[in-house]
Amino acid sequence: MAGKKEELASAKAVEALRQPSEVLYRDELEALKQNDKDPAPEPWKLSPRAVLNYIVGGKPLKAKFDGKSVEIPITRKFFGDDSIVERAIVTLASDRALLLVGEPGTGKSWLSEHLAAAISGTSTLTVQGTAGTTEEHIKYSWNIARVIAEGPNSGNLIPSPTMVAMKNGSLLRFEEITRCLPDVQDSLVSILSDKAIAIPELPDENMVWARPGFNVIATANTRDQGVNELSAALKRRFNYIHIPIVSDHKTEVEIVQKRAGELLKRYEMSVSVPPPIIEILTTVFREIREGKTDDGVSVKKPTTTVSTAEAISVAIDAALYARFFGSGEVGADDVARNLIGSIVKEDANDLAVLKEYAVLVAKRRGEKDKNWRDFHDTVLKSIK
Amino acid sequence: MTQQSISEKHKQLTELNLDIESVKAQVEAVLSSELYWFPVRHHSPNVALNLRKVMVKRKPRVVFIEGPSQANDLIPFIIDTKTKPPVAIYSSFRDDGNMLGLAGIASAAEDLPPVFPVWYPMLQYSPEYVAIKVAHEIGAKVVFIDLPHYARIKSAKPVEVLTSEKPVSLDSHPIDESRVSDEIVASIDEIEPHPDALIDEGSDEQIDERIKRELEEGSEHLIVESRFYQELAKTAGYRTYEEAWDSLFEMRSFDDPEVFRKEFSAFCAASRATTLPVRMILDSTIDRERHMLRSIDRGLAEMNLKASDAMVVCGGFHLFMDREDKNDPPTPPGGTVYNTIVPYSFFQVSELSGYAAGTRAPQFYQRVWDLQNEQRFDEVYVEHIVAVLTEARKKGNVYSSADAIAVAQHTEMLSRLRGRTIPVLDDLHDALVTCCCKGDPLEEGGPLFTAIDAADIGHKIGKVTKELGQLPVVADFYSNMESLDLGEVLGKEKRLNVEVDKRESLGEQRSVFFHRLRFLKVPVCALTEAPSGDFTSGKLFREKWQLKWSPSVDSALIELNIYGDSIERAALAALRKCLKDDQDSAGKIAQHLLRSVDMDLPDMVRMTEDSLSDAIDNDVRFISLVQALTTMLVLDKYLIYRNLRRGMLDDLIVRCFDRACFAILDVVAAPEEQQDQVVSMLVALAEVTQQGDKQNLDRNLFAQHVRDAADASPVPFLKGAFLGILSELRELEPTELADFVRGLAKSSVEVMVTAGDFLDGVMAVSRTSLMLGADSLIKAIDELLRAAEWEPFLVMLPKMRAAFERMHITHRDSLASRVAEIYGLKAASSLTELNISTAAAVTVARLDKRVAEIMKDWEL
Repeated sequence: MAGKKEELASAKAVEALRQPSEVLYRDELEALKQNDKDPAPEPWKLSPRAVLNYIVGGKPLKAKFDGKSVEIPITRKFFGDDSIVERAIVTLASDRALLLVGEPGTGKSWLSEHLAAAISGTSTLTVQGTAGTTEEHIKYSWNIARVIAEGPNSGNLIPSPTMVAMKNGSLLRFEEITRCLPDVQDSLVSILSDKAIAIPELPDENMVWARPGFNVIATANTRDQGVNELSAALKRRFNYIHIPIVSDHKTEVEIVQKRAGELLKRYEMSVSVPPPIIEILTTVFREIREGKTDDGVSVKKPTTTVSTAEAISVAIDAALYARFFGSGEVGADDVARNLIGSIVKEDANDLAVLKEYAVLVAKRRGEKDKNWRDFHDTVLKSIK
Repeated sequence: MTQQSISEKHKQLTELNLDIESVKAQVEAVLSSELYWFPVRHHSPNVALNLRKVMVKRKPRVVFIEGPSQANDLIPFIIDTKTKPPVAIYSSFRDDGNMLGLAGIASAAEDLPPVFPVWYPMLQYSPEYVAIKVAHEIGAKVVFIDLPHYARIKSAKPVEVLTSEKPVSLDSHPIDESRVSDEIVASIDEIEPHPDALIDEGSDEQIDERIKRELEEGSEHLIVESRFYQELAKTAGYRTYEEAWDSLFEMRSFDDPEVFRKEFSAFCAASRATTLPVRMILDSTIDRERHMLRSIDRGLAEMNLKASDAMVVCGGFHLFMDREDKNDPPTPPGGTVYNTIVPYSFFQVSELSGYAAGTRAPQFYQRVWDLQNEQRFDEVYVEHIVAVLTEARKKGNVYSSADAIAVAQHTEMLSRLRGRTIPVLDDLHDALVTCCCKGDPLEEGGPLFTAIDAADIGHKIGKVTKELGQLPVVADFYSNMESLDLGEVLGKEKRLNVEVDKRESLGEQRSVFFHRLRFLKVPVCALTEAPSGDFTSGKLFREKWQLKWSPSVDSALIELNIYGDSIERAALAALRKCLKDDQDSAGKIAQHLLRSVDMDLPDMVRMTEDSLSDAIDNDVRFISLVQALTTMLVLDKYLIYRNLRRGMLDDLIVRCFDRACFAILDVVAAPEEQQDQVVSMLVALAEVTQQGDKQNLDRNLFAQHVRDAADASPVPFLKGAFLGILSELRELEPTELADFVRGLAKSSVEVMVTAGDFLDGVMAVSRTSLMLGADSLIKAIDELLRAAEWEPFLVMLPKMRAAFERMHITHRDSLASRVAEIYGLKAASSLTELNISTAAAVTVARLDKRVAEIMKDWEL
C-alpha cells in the first residue's frame, strides 16, 4: 500500500506513543483524494465534501497504492451531529476562524486535529494555550545568540507555528485559547483581520503575509469561560461551534461499555461491568449532567464536568473495587460508592446535588428496581 | 447531501424493493390522463407559482380543489377583495343526537353534544387560495371536493348503532386482498388501535386532542412515514421533512411547471407505493378519495363538461387514488354544521402554535412568494438574514453588517456543501447560529432564536369581508349573556353591579362565565370582591362583579375567534397556551389550575394537573415552588367543595414540598429585593409543616435544609430568618438563638453591627417561640447593647427598631414588661401557662376568628 519511505516512517512512528491523524489515517486520506471529484479550495488537499466524508465516514473507496487497487473503508472519526462538521468545514473555507467550544472531553481537539489533517495534510502546526503562553509563541522569536552575533536578520528569526501556517497556507491549531492572557490572545486580532504578521526588526522584510488557505482552528473549554474571555474584537473574528456532550443514551452506553471493557482487559482484570450496571451509571451521569431525568424531573447540576470519560473511569473504579474489596461482581452499590469522587470534586456543595438526585430520583426508581435501591441506599450511606 | 433528481435517487433505493417501472407507469398514466391533475402541498409558494402558470395557460372551465365540500357556498367570500389572507375556512359539526357516541368523551358532560371544529387556513401563497383567485380571473368555476371532516370522526359506538350507510369502522371497508397481505392486516393493531377502542385510549382530553390532530392532518404524514421517504432521508441526510421538501421542490427554480409536476408526482407515487394500504384506510384517506372521485364525476356531469375542460388541484398523494374504486364514501352523520370564514394569523398557521398541518415559517415563505413574483428568488436568503438580524437588533442585540455578510457567505457555502443550488431555511438557521451565537446555543442562543422565530413566523393577521356576518364566538357571547339574564348590560355602556351566590345554579353559571371572560381579557366584567382563593377570605360562595359593555367588547371577541368558536373553547385554548408559555413555572401553573377550577373546565383541570406535575419536576426556584404549594393547598380544600379528584393533588403536594425544601439552599444569598418574598415563603412552608394535616410532608427534610441554609447564608437578615424558623419549629432552643446574639456581642464591630439585620430576620418569622424564650433573648440583646459603643449602636439602631416593630403590640408590651422586670422597674407577674402547644393555640385562635367571619358573612 504505502511506499518504502512511508513504511520506514511508519515503522518509526509505531515506536511513538501516539501518531498524528495524517499518519494514522493516511490511507483513508489518500483514497479520498484519489476519488475526489469536487473542486477543492486552493490549497486544500481535499474538497469540502471529501473532508466531510473523512470525518463522518462513508462508503469504502477503491484506491491505487503501488499500482494495486485496494478498497479502503472510510471510518467515522467524529460521533455526533454531522451538521457540526459541515459548519466547521464551511467556516474554515470562509474569512472567519473557527472556535470549537464545549465541555472537557467532548472531542474538540480530536475534531480539530482531523480537520487540519484532512484540509492541510498536517495537524502539527499547533500552539498550546496556557497561562504562560506569550506573544512570541504566537508570532515569532529570535535566536538570541545569533542576534547578538549578527544582529536581526531573517535567518535568525524562529517562526512560530502560526507563521509557518501562514507561509504554507495551512491551518493553525490553537488549543485552549482561553487559557491565554487577554493581551496575548489579542495578538491574534491582526493575524486574523490583516492576515499578516509585522516584523518591525527587519526593515526590508517587515511583513509576513498569509497565503490562501491559512486559517485558525481554536478550541476552548466552556469551563474556562469568564477566566480569560475573548475580547469583542476577537470574538467577531471567530465563528463559534459548540460541541455538545454525547446526549444519545445508546451511544454513551456503547462508548462506556466498549472503553471500560478495553481498559479492564489492558489491566488483565477478569471482572466485567454488567450491562444493567452500565445502564445505571450512564443514566445517572447523563441525568445529572443535563439537570433533568428521563421522567422529566429537574435536578441540580454539579460544578464539575460529568463527561463520558468520567463515566468510564467510574466503571473501572467500581470494577476494581468489586474485584479487590467486594464480592467480585460489580453492583450498583459499587458504582454509587465510586461515583461520589467523580461528582464531588471541586465543591463540597456537590454532595447536595448527589443527595438530591438520590432522594428525588433514585428512591422512586428503587421502589421497582433493586439496582436503583442499592444505588440510593449506598449514596445516602456514603455521604452521611 | 447531494442534489440529485428523483430518478437518480431511485437508483440508490433498490433495497426498498420499489418497483420503479410500475411507479413510472403510474405517473405516466396520471400525467397523461384527459383530466388534468396538479399535485400540491399546502402553504407552498413554489407549488402556487407553478400552479398559477399552468392554470393561466390551460384555462380550465372548472377547477376541483381539495377543499371542504361543505363550504362551497363560502367561495364568493374568499374571492371578495375585502378578504385578505391569512384567513381560514371554519367548519364545525355539532353531534346533537350523539350519533358518534362521543358525548362526555369529546364534550364536557354526557348531556352536552360534542362539537368538532376544523380550520382550513389559507395564506396568500397557499396553492388552494391561488387556484381560487386565478379561477376567478379566468372565469372558471371552483368546486371543493373533500369529504366533510365530520364524516371522518371515528365513532365510539358499535358500528350497528350508527345510522350511516357506510359506517366509519375499519370492518366496513372492503380491503383489496391482492394489495394487503395477511401480515399487514394482522399488524393493524400494532399500527393504530381499533376505532372502537377509542374510549380506552386515554383521558378525554387526549382523545379530544387526537381527534383534532387527525382532522387537521392531511396526507403528508403518510409521505413522511413511507419507506421511500425514510430511506431517502437517510441516504440524503435530511433531518426533517421540511428540509427534504425545500431541497427537492420549494427552493428550486422550475422553468417548466410540467417538470415540477412530473418530479413531485413521481415522489408522491413512490411514497404511496411504500405505504401500507391499511394506513390509508385508518386515517380516512381512502374515504376522502372516494368522495373526491364522486364529486368530480358528479360535477362534470352536472356542468355537462368533458374531463379535458377540468383540472384537479389536490395533495400529491391523492393523485394516485384508485380510480376503479366503486365503493361510496361514508355518509356524514346528522347534526348541526356551521361554516364560515374567519381571520387567521401567521402564528396560528405556524407549527409553533401546535397546528398539525402548519408551516414552520409562514413569513419566510411569504418572502419566498413575494420575491419569486418580483423575479428575485435568489435574494430570498439574504433578505431573510437581514430580517432576522433586524429583529435581533430591535431587542438590543448588536449585530453588524459584517455579521450579515458572514452569515450570507456561510449560508451559501453550507448549501453548496449540502448539494443545494439555492439555500434552504435550514442552511440559513445553521449559518446564523454559527456566525452569531458565541457559545452553546442552548445557553447563549436565546435572543438569536427569538429573533429567528419572529422573522420566520411574522405577525400578519388576515381580514374577512363584512359581507359574511357575525363570527361564532361573538354569537356565543351574546347567546350566553341572554341565557344568563344579563341582556340589559348589552349595548348600553352603563355599569351594572352583579352579586353572585355560587350556591345557586344561576349564580354558579354566571360566576363561571365571568371568570372565563375575565381570563380572556374581554373588557366586559371586573371582579370587585372575592379573591381567587375563596377560603382565605372566608367568603365562600359570593362574588361581586361589575359589568359594562362597550364597542371594544366586540373587537376583543373577534380576536378570540382564533382560539375557538365559543367562549368555553376560547378559554380552553387560551389556557392551553398559558400552560405552554408557563410550563417551567410551578407557581404560575398552579394558578392556572385554580383558574381552570374557577372557569369550570374539568378536562383542563386534569391537563393542568399533568402540566403542574411536569412544572414541579422542572422548576427549581424556591419562591415559585412555595407559591405552587400554597396554591395547591388552597385547591386541596376547594376541590372538596367542587367534588373533584384529590389523589393526584396529594402526590403533587408532597413532591412540591420536597422540591421546595431542596431549593431552600438556592436562596441563602438572595438579593435584597427578593428577601422579603423569600422570608414570607419560608413562613408559609413552615406553617404547612406545622399544621400537620398533611402527614406525608417530611418535617425533618424541611428542618434539615433550613439548618443547612442558616449555616450557609452570608446574609444576616436571612440567617436570622432561617434560625427563627428553626426556633419556631422547636428545632432550636431559644437559648441557642440568644447565644447567637450573644456571640455577635463578642464579635468585631463589622460583624456586631449586623445584629440589627439578624434580629430583623428572626422577628420576621418568629412569634411564639420568641415569647417563650423572651428572657434569654432579652439578656442576650442587653449584652449586645452593653458591648456596643455609640457609633456601632447608631448603625444597629434602625434595623433593631424595625425588628421590634414587626412584633404585635401585645407581644411588644409583654417583652417590655420583661425588660422592666429584669431592670427591677416592675414587679413580676405570673404568665398564664399554656396547657396546649403554642402552634395549636394559634390554630385555635385562627379558627375562632374565621368562624366568626364566616358567620358574619352568612348573616347567620
